Amino acid sequence: MTSLTDILQKRAYMLTLTRSFFEKKNIMEVDCPSILSYPNLDDNIEIFKLQTTPKRYLHSSPEHAMKRLLSEGVSSIYQLSHVYRKGEIGPYHNPEFTLVEWYRKNVTFSFFLNETLDFIRLFVGDINFTKMSYREIFFCHTNIDYATSNIEKLKKILQEKSIDYASNDKLDKDGYLNLIFSHIIEPAMPKDQLVVIYDFPASQAALSQIKEKGDEMVAERFEIFFQNIELANGYHELTDPKEQRKRFESSIAKKEDNLSIDEKLLQALEKGLGDCFGVAMGFDRLLMLHLNKKTIHEVIPFSWENI
Amino acid sequence: MSQASINEIRPGMKVEINNEPYIVVINNFVKPGKGQAFNRIKLKNIITGRVVEKTYKSGEKLDLADIEEKQLRLLYTEKDGAVFMDDKTFEQTTVAFSSIKENKNWLLDDTLYETIFYKGEIIDILPPTFMEIKIVETDPGMRGDTASGRVMKPATLSTGAIIQVPIFIKEGETIKVDTRTGEYVSRT
Repeated sequence: MTSLTDILQKRAYMLTLTRSFFEKKNIMEVDCPSILSYPNLDDNIEIFKLQTTPKRYLHSSPEHAMKRLLSEGVSSIYQLSHVYRKGEIGPYHNPEFTLVEWYRKNVTFSFFLNETLDFIRLFVGDINFTKMSYREIFFCHTNIDYATSNIEKLKKILQEKSIDYASNDKLDKDGYLNLIFSHIIEPAMPKDQLVVIYDFPASQAALSQIKEKGDEMVAERFEIFFQNIELANGYHELTDPKEQRKRFESSIAKKEDNLSIDEKLLQALEKGLGDCFGVAMGFDRLLMLHLNKKTIHEVIPFSWENI
Repeated sequence: MSQASINEIRPGMKVEINNEPYIVVINNFVKPGKGQAFNRIKLKNIITGRVVEKTYKSGEKLDLADIEEKQLRLLYTEKDGAVFMDDKTFEQTTVAFSSIKENKNWLLDDTLYETIFYKGEIIDILPPTFMEIKIVETDPGMRGDTASGRVMKPATLSTGAIIQVPIFIKEGETIKVDTRTGEYVSRT
């Protein structure tokens, strides 16, 4: 049993270590507001709406504000912030959690990935990594090529593994890919290494760039897992304002609420972001792994059920 | 019928899926990176006992099962069933032995049982953890069998259960039994 004081001390120490990691690399800390006029628009994240006039929202990540700072000329920044995602409750989810997010301009993919891995090693120790593209790991565990497979083929994989999707709501292809990824691939990942998955399906690009790779269009994104837990989501950031507007519009079309596009972010992209990578990591999950706990609720002072 | 969002479903809650009642064993929230959130739940069918796993889109609503638990007193048993009474309302309910399966062997008149109602009918009963029941049949113990510690022999109880009792216990004695395991506890 670890006492509460013990956990608080370790938490404080890891926050200090996080700050000194970035300080040594000359990455500046910023603290952008957590209340927004224009919400983050992610297809799969539900945001908290405040009861205010005019409408205001709690951020689900500091991404928009940080990108606006990047367009103003700052080059390497990080933010340690509490972020809010409605309905996300589970062993590794709390609707309010601590995110470490940072951006780097003019670096290569491998430089940025290595930096991210080094940050994770502050928490989990000196552990090796293995790297696979989304297409490779998908084939490795299902024997099918996701890019050329239709929904029927994906459904068959689920059937073979006795996974019963019971919702009346039909899933699109990405829905099935997510189902297979979370129910079959994630649990089968090696546990003794950091696992890097990169080059995601273009349809799952979120705010990353899309590039051509052989016969496939891929999103320049990576995720890092350790002990089957997702720790980091990194992007080669989308900088094209026209493409950004299109993605915002398609997200809004999928949402029920009457949300509006962050024109200030689009203006920032017009001004120019520069070539840049960004990554967001769950601090509480890292701390949970560091302290060998089974849920993030054990490393948060007061979690959702207890506030 | 009342409903609950799958995100609010906790272990122990009872839900109804395809007209069958289930008790929730585990509810796991699963969300891949930037992807669709799911709830992967493990459920036990209350009638058949079969455990199944199902995945739902997060936020979907599930029907709550019309399950009620009541403490009822056994009045008497008949050829194919048992008649219980509610001590407060004096209302009587008959349940077929086929519905309560192996618990049929723990029916003792004038004893209080936890009963589980689904849509107004008893689908299961829970006997008290410890019961005092008379032995109606057991062979007399053989001398000299006690050397290797506790030697046991079969005994039939008045409720119909057959359990193992120590060799010194005689027919006609009343003993204390653990109904969860069917094990002999002590003499009374």
